[in-house]
Amino acid sequence: MNLKAVLDPSLESGIPHGEALLAFADAVLGEEDEVLDSARKRVLKELGPEALVDAAAVVATFMQMDRIADATGIPMDGAFLEQTREVRAELGLNRFASAQNTFGSEA
Amino acid sequence: MAMISYANVSVPVRKDIQEAHEQVWHKLAEPGTWWTGAERVAIAAEVRQAWHCRLCKERKAALSPAAIPGSHESLGTLPKPLVEMIHRITTDPGRLSKKWYGELLEQGLTDAHYVEALGVLVRTVSIDSFCRGIGRAVHPLPSPVRGEPVRRRPPAARMDRAWVPMIPNGEEAGPDGDLYGGRFASNVLRALSLVPDEVRLSIFVLLPPQYMDPFKVRDPAYDPGRALSRAQMELLAARVSALNQCFY
Repeated sequence: MNLKAVLDPSLESGIPHGEALLAFADAVLGEEDEVLDSARKRVLKELGPEALVDAAAVVATFMQMDRIADATGIPMDGAFLEQTREVRAELGLNRFASAQNTFGSEA
Repeated sequence: MAMISYANVSVPVRKDIQEAHEQVWHKLAEPGTWWTGAERVAIAAEVRQAWHCRLCKERKAALSPAAIPGSHESLGTLPKPLVEMIHRITTDPGRLSKKWYGELLEQGLTDAHYVEALGVLVRTVSIDSFCRGIGRAVHPLPSPVRGEPVRRRPPAARMDRAWVPMIPNGEEAGPDGDLYGGRFASNVLRALSLVPDEVRLSIFVLLPPQYMDPFKVRDPAYDPGRALSRAQMELLAARVSALNQCFY
């Protein structure tokens, strides 16, 4: 899996139908209904109706979980912080404003 | 009449998702721990209004939200600090700060009211996002149920490194020791625990059908056996979190 595709969907993710799924996530969070219709149809065509339901459910879950994390100021859990050190550096995730909840103002 | 129905959508919404959404919507209308049923429904309504707020759009586009003065375009039924909380978390969650949270408390919002309102907010966003994803209009908000809030604060909830007090793991959880089912809960599972029912609804009711058992998430080999593979699910999850600029 190419994790960089998460930040730049023009890159190949290495996940089957990754491009369609990334476009769907972007469209649900976007404001253009026509773009969402098109993205939905692509997921239906490539993966089927049950997969569309799953995809919508995962997007919905993280629309919730991201807000729980960022609105309560929770820090990343200790062991996971160490395990993700390299990938965070590779993807530049430490630059997110919410990284302050883990690192303080030194982030 | 059912408040939640996926009967007329063109895709097969799993029964477990439907049942979870029904439970969440039913609880939305009932008195909570700190807010009445009417207030909880008003919070959900304000969440939907936030997406149309011009001040929120201008702040979202700005380098710093604090640089844009003004008043939110709200429904006018909730106090200003609560409106600010709802609008900011709904539309720009990645740039919240401890300072911003502290200002809400200075304006009269309590930590417990904040956590319960946050629970209502995130579940509304979640279910509305699901509807948007499958191409269904959002569900009508339920009619509030009369009654008084419970007003119970967990005695073991304490400040750690988060902005809000949380119930610890293990024996230190005290009388709320059953909340995490005897298992070790990560920070995101504990984040709403100042109001335990918000954990029950947001995490233990919604997560399993929409994503997976929250205690299996840290096992990369676990696959809940859905139409999407685990890898495909995590790709979606990571992209949403990147778009929301969520470090956690």
